[in-house]
Amino acid sequence: MAGSILTTLALALSIFSMVMYFFTYRGAKNTLNIARMSYHAMAMLVIIASAFLMYLIITHQYQYEYVYSYSNDDLPFGFLLSTFWAGQQGSFMLWLFVTALIGVFLQSYTGKRDDLEPRVMMFFTLATTFLLAMVSPLLKNPFAYIWAEPMFLEVAKINPAYFNAPFMQNFMFNDPNSGQNFVKMSKDLYATLQGSGISVNQFIIHGKGLNPLLQNFWMQIHPPILFTGFAMTTVPFSFAMAALLKNDYKDWVRQSFPWILAGSGILGLGIMLGGYWAYGVLGWGGYWAWDPVENASLVPWLISLAAIHTMIVQRKTQSKGGFGKFVKTNLLLSILAYVMVLYSTFLTRSGVLGDASVHSFVDPGAIVYLFLIIFVATFLVLGVGMIIYRWKYLESQIVDEENLLARELALFTATVTLGASALIVAVGTSAPIFKQSVETRFYNEMHVPLAIIIGLLNGFSFLLKWRHSSGEDILKKSKFSLIATGVFALLIILFGKVYDIMMILLSISAAFALFVNAEIAYKIFTGNKKMLGAYISHIGFSLFLLGVVGSAAYSKQFEVDLTKGKPVNVLGHTLEFTGYNPIENNTKYEFNVSIKDLDGGEARVIKPIMFISTFNNSLMREPDILEGFTKDFYVTPLSYEDGSNAENKPQGNAVILMPNEKTSIEGAQLTYTDFIKPDMSVMMGGGNFQMGAKLTVTKNGKTETIEALMKKEAQGVTFVPVELKDADLRVELTKIDPTTKKAELIVGKLSAPVSTTQPQEVLAINASTKPFISLVWIGVAIAVIGFFVSTLRRLKESWA
Amino acid sequence: MKNKYIFGGVIAVVFLGMMIFLFTKSNIQYESDFVKVMSSDRTIKATGSWVKEKSYEVNKSERTFAFYMKDATGREMKVIYSGTIPNNFESAQSIVVTGQYKNGNFHAKDILTKCPSKYQDKQNAAANS
Repeated sequence: MAGSILTTLALALSIFSMVMYFFTYRGAKNTLNIARMSYHAMAMLVIIASAFLMYLIITHQYQYEYVYSYSNDDLPFGFLLSTFWAGQQGSFMLWLFVTALIGVFLQSYTGKRDDLEPRVMMFFTLATTFLLAMVSPLLKNPFAYIWAEPMFLEVAKINPAYFNAPFMQNFMFNDPNSGQNFVKMSKDLYATLQGSGISVNQFIIHGKGLNPLLQNFWMQIHPPILFTGFAMTTVPFSFAMAALLKNDYKDWVRQSFPWILAGSGILGLGIMLGGYWAYGVLGWGGYWAWDPVENASLVPWLISLAAIHTMIVQRKTQSKGGFGKFVKTNLLLSILAYVMVLYSTFLTRSGVLGDASVHSFVDPGAIVYLFLIIFVATFLVLGVGMIIYRWKYLESQIVDEENLLARELALFTATVTLGASALIVAVGTSAPIFKQSVETRFYNEMHVPLAIIIGLLNGFSFLLKWRHSSGEDILKKSKFSLIATGVFALLIILFGKVYDIMMILLSISAAFALFVNAEIAYKIFTGNKKMLGAYISHIGFSLFLLGVVGSAAYSKQFEVDLTKGKPVNVLGHTLEFTGYNPIENNTKYEFNVSIKDLDGGEARVIKPIMFISTFNNSLMREPDILEGFTKDFYVTPLSYEDGSNAENKPQGNAVILMPNEKTSIEGAQLTYTDFIKPDMSVMMGGGNFQMGAKLTVTKNGKTETIEALMKKEAQGVTFVPVELKDADLRVELTKIDPTTKKAELIVGKLSAPVSTTQPQEVLAINASTKPFISLVWIGVAIAVIGFFVSTLRRLKESWA
Repeated sequence: MKNKYIFGGVIAVVFLGMMIFLFTKSNIQYESDFVKVMSSDRTIKATGSWVKEKSYEVNKSERTFAFYMKDATGREMKVIYSGTIPNNFESAQSIVVTGQYKNGNFHAKDILTKCPSKYQDKQNAAANS
């Protein structure tokens, strides 16, 4: 209740702050302080609400639906932290939390700059209002009680002390498909518990837990950084809207600049951390799968990058008086970046991508669906509407002076190319809305030519001067880079065996950009260091492109069975499976594979992991990587057989029987006479029990009655085979369903030959090499540093 | 001034043309009706659920994984996937397979398993109770 009150109050304050800012903008005198105070009060409430949610998670308050659904007692503190943003409600809360915090800094930033604050903050508070509405009790409330909506809880999550309580019978249900029992948690049960003086927290003593895929370090840092990047796009949006409102487009570029740079740096970092997570832990085999969720975060980032390039031009061309060039482009892109964040949220949260992604999506219900559409539409209509409204005036301000060999045009081309890339990704990702989808080659093939253009521009534009440059001059300046690129091209063709023409072009363009930027950066380094940002970023980006060419176009993979103790040559390495060992309290298994280079050298051991998760009863696989600068050797475990199966596996025919059903098999008459019932109360409490089928077997005129049993003990489930010496039969239960009483059996000849081969332990793996994937990470890291260096420089300039 | 727009226009048309061409070429449709899946010779994303009663087979030597899938009307087809059993297969609520129907089997090159969410849990359990 307390949490819902906090968010509801914050929502009211956010709306109030927005209205007060609006009055201030309209000229009211006393409202600015009220607006500020209510903003700060709202931010404070959001912080308290977030802290409260965190507290509920850490103290296992399972009476809250969110805490029950995404955590349990076994999670260590770090993973409980991840629980905060593991579900939809919590990730909206995280987004809101970061946005509210950014707003505090934005308020102080804009408050010091003329009349900026009310114009910017009224749009910013509109955004916080929508986010607060999202987590309000009406929509995706993280503080909803577990009984608010009827929900079926596994019996194992309930305190066994209450199993025999008389009221329980009314709330127990059995799912015939799985044979599992559930307790229906609803308002009725809540009222009953209240009546008996039992608190819900006493009644529900375990949570569902966290998806094992999310139980790692990357889940702790990737979402917060990504959502910070998302939240940061709200700021350039608000600046653009503020400029349109005032119909003055001179100052907003430099004021907005440090924000869009910092935001792009953070978002880029967040995206790449997600990529590393997918590569290093989830075992997707690569860092980028063009999955809708990845794409959804990429589109706003590309648009922000596009905006940055023409914003530089606008800023530079202002020196001649006027607003500068590409005002409309900059406004539109600043607005679109945020709108695309919202659109991405719609795509990934509304359930429309249900079948299209590896990420599990949840249909959030019609009201949330509608609200998401309203959210996107409001900001789109508001933003684009304002531009259309001001269009005539903006058209009249155009300064037309073009020169083909000027940096302005090169930067504009960069913006167009980045915009084209964003369009491709957006179109492909939106296809599932229309029940279509595209193969990943759509993205890959479209991006190869674009990346070549981007690489060339990346080098070329730095050789160009503003306004005008001569061809001679360019040639002179590019001498070093051209020679170095030529040498590089020869090297990759001769030694790298890169023959694909597109890949050669892409490598050359990236290398060219690298050399141009490196040369200039070196010169600057000895001079004015704060100007370095752009060059650092572009060096990083060139390295990234080279890493992509190597790791994507020249990756090789191979599936292979490794028999224990027998070395196998795979992709230039000798691999040997040396056995496995349990880790983390016997919940997971490490499979040790020793790797040697073919030409000798020391053996190194990598340890991919496999385990059966209790969360979803599925086999989980974690890859392991032998990392190196020139290439990674990547091993994903596929399956493991200990060899004993071959001997013990029941041999014979599978038979499925219902009670009183007969069948004849192996010359015998088999009748399922009775179901052997388990002790229900023990079963529900998770104790040891047995159940099975009573059968009669008639062969050669002799009839025997047998019991095929399934035993559940602490160590797990075992099936007890029955051997009939006279009838030469072996009967073993493989599955039994307590609700339908359907029994599945294996019936075979006792005298059947048993395979005599020695048990062999076999580990099947997928091995691959990823040449120069290290450049992908190094490149992005360098690029991100560049963004922050630039941010510092532009922050100083924002006062001018 | 005029040249600029003509130049820009040509580039835009070429780009959009390329995009539409590649889109149609790499486009895969979703299909939840297996009658249509079986009668098409295109690559399709077939959506349905695993027929649990029929279990699945893993062929170690050929590295295939085969199982039966059914659509909403209960029509079944055998799916053969070249690869190993996906991580979440047993607990999958619904399955999306990408591939082609050939010679009486659906040959999948990709499997996507959708796991039950708490919301679906609710509905299912509610339907059963």
